[in-house]
Amino acid sequence: MADGEPEVMFKKETVGKLLSMFFKDEKTRVGGDAVILMTEMLTIFVREAARRAAKQAHTEHSDAVDIENFEKILPQLLLDF
Amino acid sequence: MDEEFSRSQRLKAAVHFTVSKICEEIGQDCGKEFNKLVIAAITETAFKQCDIFAKDLEAFARHAKRTTITVEDVKLAARRSTSLAIYITQKGEELTSTHKEQRERKKKQSGKSDESEAPAKGSED
Repeated sequence: MADGEPEVMFKKETVGKLLSMFFKDEKTRVGGDAVILMTEMLTIFVREAARRAAKQAHTEHSDAVDIENFEKILPQLLLDF
Repeated sequence: MDEEFSRSQRLKAAVHFTVSKICEEIGQDCGKEFNKLVIAAITETAFKQCDIFAKDLEAFARHAKRTTITVEDVKLAARRSTSLAIYITQKGEELTSTHKEQRERKKKQSGKSDESEAPAKGSED
């Protein structure tokens, strides 16, 4: 991970709204720190997906990351989270 | 129903925006170009994963007889991967200590003489 530069992250507001949308119970709330941590988690998930897909493309000697590359890394990615 | 649909679409658009930014950054880093379909697929996966996370968190909180999701619930959600769990725990502790510092600073500003509870720090002048 690159230190120093501000990394691209999800917005706290987006993640908060996403979580509330998926809750089954309307009464469920999310604490402030929990939203920050979930933002971190979701960002890591997306970064990991992109990194693994790029690595897969690299092993197949391709300059472009294609859907086939992503399909190959998807099962393990889902098992890891 | 229609309103809910558009809300979900808007949120998905927001996720798509961030995913394409992240892919752009990683693509530049390793000299690869991400196909648009891949970005759409990652968005869809992240969206679905968020659904799973949300339902898990809700169940964890309910199990602890709470209605508010806390840092502890997020730690449970991250338990499957060791390094992720360590990272999330560390981040959580960082957040808690920052809050503590802020609270102590506020306390100090409001009442300087009241230091009976705080541990004595010799080096402080």
